[in-house]
Amino acid sequence: MKKALVFVAAVAGMTALSTGVQAQDCTTKIGAALPTSVDWGRPIAEVAQFAVDQVNEAGGAAGCSIEMVLRDTQVDPKVGVDAAKALVDLEGVKVLLGAVSSGVSMPILSSVTVPSGVMQMSCCSSSTAFTKLAEEGKTDGLWFRTFATTAVQSAMGAKVAADKGWKSVAVLYKNDDWGQDMAKLIAADFAAAGVEVTASVAINDGQPSYRAEVTEALGSQPEALYLALYPTEGTSAVREWLSLGGTQNMILANSLKSDEFRDNVGLQYLGSALGTDTASPRVESANAFKAAYTAKFGSEPNGPGLANSYDATMIALLAMEAAGSDASGADIAAAVAKVTDPSGKPVAADTAGFTAAKATLSEGGTVMYQGATGNVRFDANGDVSAPAVVWKFTDSGTEEVEYLSLSDVDAYIASLK
Amino acid sequence: MIQHLVDGILVGSFLSLGAIGLTMAMHILRFANFSHAELLSIGAYCALVFDKVFESLLPVLAEKIGPLSMTGALAISIVLSMAVTGLSAVLIDRFVFQRVRQKGEELSMVFASFGMALIIRNVIGLIFGLSGELYSSDIAFAMVLSRDPMLLVKPDQVFVLIAALVLMVLLHLILSRTTFGFSLRAVAENPNLAQVHGVNLKRMIAAVWIIGGGLGAVAGIFYGLSYQITPVMGRDLVLPIFAATIVGGIGSVYGAVLGGFIVGIASNMALVVLPSGYSPSVPFLMILAVLLVRPNGLFGEARV
Amino acid sequence: MIGVISYLVFFATVAAILGIAVLGLNLQWGNTGLFNGGVVASFGAGAYGTLILGGTPQEGHLGGFELFYPLALLGGMAFSGVLAWVVGKLTLRLRHDYLAIATFGVAVAFENVMRNATSVTGGAQGIRGFERPLRDFLGSGFAYNLVFLIAVVVVLAGVYVFLERLTVSPFGRLLRAIREDETAARSLGKAPDKLRLTAFVTGSVIIGLAGGLYSTFYAFVSPQDVLPILTFQIWAMLIVGGAGNNKGAMAGAFLIWGAWTFSGWALSRFAPIEAQLYTGSIQFVLIGMVIVGMLLWRPQGLFPERLVVSQPGGGSREKTQAEGLT
Repeated sequence: MKKALVFVAAVAGMTALSTGVQAQDCTTKIGAALPTSVDWGRPIAEVAQFAVDQVNEAGGAAGCSIEMVLRDTQVDPKVGVDAAKALVDLEGVKVLLGAVSSGVSMPILSSVTVPSGVMQMSCCSSSTAFTKLAEEGKTDGLWFRTFATTAVQSAMGAKVAADKGWKSVAVLYKNDDWGQDMAKLIAADFAAAGVEVTASVAINDGQPSYRAEVTEALGSQPEALYLALYPTEGTSAVREWLSLGGTQNMILANSLKSDEFRDNVGLQYLGSALGTDTASPRVESANAFKAAYTAKFGSEPNGPGLANSYDATMIALLAMEAAGSDASGADIAAAVAKVTDPSGKPVAADTAGFTAAKATLSEGGTVMYQGATGNVRFDANGDVSAPAVVWKFTDSGTEEVEYLSLSDVDAYIASLK
Repeated sequence: MIQHLVDGILVGSFLSLGAIGLTMAMHILRFANFSHAELLSIGAYCALVFDKVFESLLPVLAEKIGPLSMTGALAISIVLSMAVTGLSAVLIDRFVFQRVRQKGEELSMVFASFGMALIIRNVIGLIFGLSGELYSSDIAFAMVLSRDPMLLVKPDQVFVLIAALVLMVLLHLILSRTTFGFSLRAVAENPNLAQVHGVNLKRMIAAVWIIGGGLGAVAGIFYGLSYQITPVMGRDLVLPIFAATIVGGIGSVYGAVLGGFIVGIASNMALVVLPSGYSPSVPFLMILAVLLVRPNGLFGEARV
Repeated sequence: MIGVISYLVFFATVAAILGIAVLGLNLQWGNTGLFNGGVVASFGAGAYGTLILGGTPQEGHLGGFELFYPLALLGGMAFSGVLAWVVGKLTLRLRHDYLAIATFGVAVAFENVMRNATSVTGGAQGIRGFERPLRDFLGSGFAYNLVFLIAVVVVLAGVYVFLERLTVSPFGRLLRAIREDETAARSLGKAPDKLRLTAFVTGSVIIGLAGGLYSTFYAFVSPQDVLPILTFQIWAMLIVGGAGNNKGAMAGAFLIWGAWTFSGWALSRFAPIEAQLYTGSIQFVLIGMVIVGMLLWRPQGLFPERLVVSQPGGGSREKTQAEGLT
C-alpha cells in the first residue's frame, strides 16, 4: 500500500516535471505569411522560426508546443491573401505573423484576419494607413506591428545631422510606401532642425543603374547623405556615390543595419556613417536576443526587420501563453497588453525569459517583454514606440554611439514640432 | 548634363551587348524572348564561380590590373563564362524552344521563354542565395576628367565601353566578311531559301544562340563589374534590353548597338526633366516614341 | 469542414474574378489575335477607377466620391476602356512581337505612375477606405464571402454568354477573319483597324471589370497589385485552358490559380522544415515547369478552340499577321 502510494506520487511528480519542461504532446499552429522568395524576406522568416524554436525549448506556449506554418507571399497581394486565408481556414491558426509589405498586409487584414477574428502581428509593415484604419475602428484591435512608426526614425535622422553640424543633406529613398513616408517625414524634420535638404531622390527597385539618381544627389553638393534604402539597392547607390567622390558623411535608416551592406560597401568607407534604430532597454537581459542569434546564425542580427520579426513572434507567443489554451484570436490580441505591461515583471527575449514569463503569467501577473527592439509598448492603434539609438558599423557588427530613452525621443520629436 | 550623357553612354555599352543577342534570336527564330536577360545572369554567376576558383588556385591572378577592379582571374573567367553561357543557350533551345517551335506557334515560344525566365532566375536564387554579390568589394574611384562642367568617369567603365566596342567590331567583321556571316544573314532573310542553298539551319540557329549567350554573358559580367549581381538582375534588365532592340529595329545588329546607347542615354538624361520615381517608365517611353515615328524601329525592316 | 468550405469559397471568388479577366484576354488574343502584354494595366485601371470613385474620402489624394457601387464599378470599366482606346490607337498597328513588348511597357509605366502620382492614387501606399457594398447588411464573415462569390459567378456567366454570342455573331466572324487573313478581310471591304480596336477595347473593359471586382473584394489596391506577374498569370490561364475557347479560358483560370495556391500549400505542408524557407523559389520553379511542360506536350491547351473556320498550321498564322501589317 505504502509502496503503491510512493509509486503514484513519483509518477505524478514525473508528469508534473515533464509538462513543465519537456515538449508537449499537443501542437498549436501559428501562421506566418512572409515573402521568403525575396532577398530581404527570407531572413525575416528564419528569425520568426528561431523565436518559435526558443519558445518550444521553454516547453511551448499555452500548454502545447508551437508549429509555425510558413507560407510565401511572393510579395503578391493575391498570393499573400490566399495564403493567409488558407492558414486561417485550413490550418486553423489564431495568430498570423505577417506580412512584410504594407500592400500585402492591408488586404490580409481587411479581407482575412479581421473578418475571421484572427490576430495579425506584422514585423515590418510601416504604412501610416494602418494607424488611420485602426483609428476608424476597423481593425477590431486585432492588428499589431513591431515596426516603430517612421516618425521616430526620421526624427533621429534629423537629430544626427543637427548634432554633427551638417548643414545640408541629400536624401535617397526607396520608392515604396515606407520610403515615400520617410522622405516626406525626414524633409519636415530636417527643416525643423535647421538642416537644408538639397535633393530628395527616389530610388526604384531593380533599376539597371542608379548612376543618374546619384549624380543628381551629388550635383546638389550636400554635406551629408541620408539613406532610406534596403541593402541591395543601398549597396549599389552608396558604392556609386562614393566612387563619384561623394561625402562619407552618411545617415542610415535602420534598414541598412545589415552585414551585407557593410561588407559590400566596405567598412573603411563607413567610418563617418551613423545609423538610427529603435533600441533595447538599459538592462542586463537586453542583449539576450543578440547573443542567442549570434550563437545560432554565426553573425549579429543585422538586416532589415530581423529584430522586429523576432519581437513580433515572441509577443504573439507570449500573448498566446497569457490567453491560455483554446483562446480566440481576440482573446490573444487582448492578452498582448498583459505581456507588454510597463508595470509588469521584466522578461528577457530568449528561452529563459519565456520560461520566466510563463511562471509569472500562471500566477496571474503581467510581464514587460524586453524585446530585441526594446520595451515594446503598443498604443491603442497597435503601433509601437520605443527608445532609440544612434549606431555605427564595426568589424563584428554595429556598436551604439548614443542612447535616447523613450522620454528623450518623445521630447525631441515634440521640439521639432 | 554632360555627366548624364557620358553616364548614359557607359550604361548603353552593356545594354547594347545584351540587345545584340536578343535581336539576332528574335529575328531568326521570330519570337520575343523574355528569357534572354537571364543569359546575362547565367553569365554573371558563371564568372563569379570561375573567378573564385581561379583566385584560390592561382593567387597571383587575384591581382588587380592597373586602375581597374578587374583581375586576371576575372579576365579568364569572362572567356570561360562566355562559352558556358553560349552552351547553356544552345541547350535551352535544344530542350525547350526547339521542341515548342515544332509544336506550336510564335506565342507558345514567347510564353515558354517567360516560363524559362522564371525557372532560371529562381534556380540561381536557390543555388547562390538571394542577396547581391560582387566580384570585388573594393570601390573603384572615379577619375575627374573635368571640374567645370563636372565630369567623372570610372576606369572600369572606360574599360567596359572599350571592350564592348571591340566585341561589336569583331562581330561586325564576322557578319560582313565571312561566309558564316553571309549564311547567317541569308537564314534571317529567308530560312527556306537559305536551306535550299545548302545552309545548315540547325547549325545557324546554334550559332546565333552561342553568339547571343556569349555577348549576354559579357554584358552580365560588365553589369556586375559596374554594379552588383543578383538573381533577379535578368528581370530588371529585360525591359531596357527589349527597348534597345525595338528602338534599333528587330533584326538589325547595328540597330541594337545604337538602340542600347540611345536607351542608356535617355534613361540618364530623363532625370533632368522627370522626377526620379518615374525612371522605370523611360525605356517604355522610348519604345513608344520610336514606334510612333518608325513602326519597325530605326533600322528594322518590315518582315516578309 | 467549415474551414475547408470557407476557404474554397474564398478561393473560388478570386479564381472567378481572374476567370473574367481571362475571358477578356481571350477576346483579344483568342478571337482577334492581339497580343496584349499589358493585361495588368487594364486590370489596374478598373481596380483603381472603382476605388477612387466608390471609396470614402482620404486625406492626401484624389478620390472618395462615394458613388453608388454599380456606378463606381462602371466608372472603373470606363476608365479601363479609355486607357485601352489610347493604347490601342498608339500600338495596334504594330507587328505582334512589337505589340507584345509595347503593351508590356504600358503595364510597367502604369504601375510606375500609380506608385508615384501620390496625389491621385495614394502612391505606394495604395488606396484604402472603401466600404464594401452591403457590408452593413451581411457583415464581413462567411455569409458575405458567399454572397460575393455568387455575384462574381453571375458576372462571370454573364460575360461568358455575352462573349459566346459575340463569337457567333457577324462581328465575331469578322474578328476571326481578320485574325486568319487580314488581307482577304480588307479586300472584302472590311476595316480591320477599327474592328481590332473595338475588340481590344471591349476585352480591356472586361479585364477592367475583373479588376474592379478584385479591388472591391479586398477593399484595397496598391501598386503591388499591378505588377507584371499578374499579366503572366492571366496569360498562363489562357494558354493552359486553350486560347479561343471561352470554356477553356475559365477552366484555365481555376486550374492555374488552383495550382499556384495548391503548390504553396503543399510545399508548406509536406516540405521538410529546413526546406520551408526555400519554398517560395521552389514554387516559382515548379510553376515555370508547368507552363513550359504544357507548351511542350499540349500547346493547344486543355480545351482547344473548336474551329469554326478552317485554320492552317501554326506557322502561317504569324505570317498572315505580319503580311497584314506591311
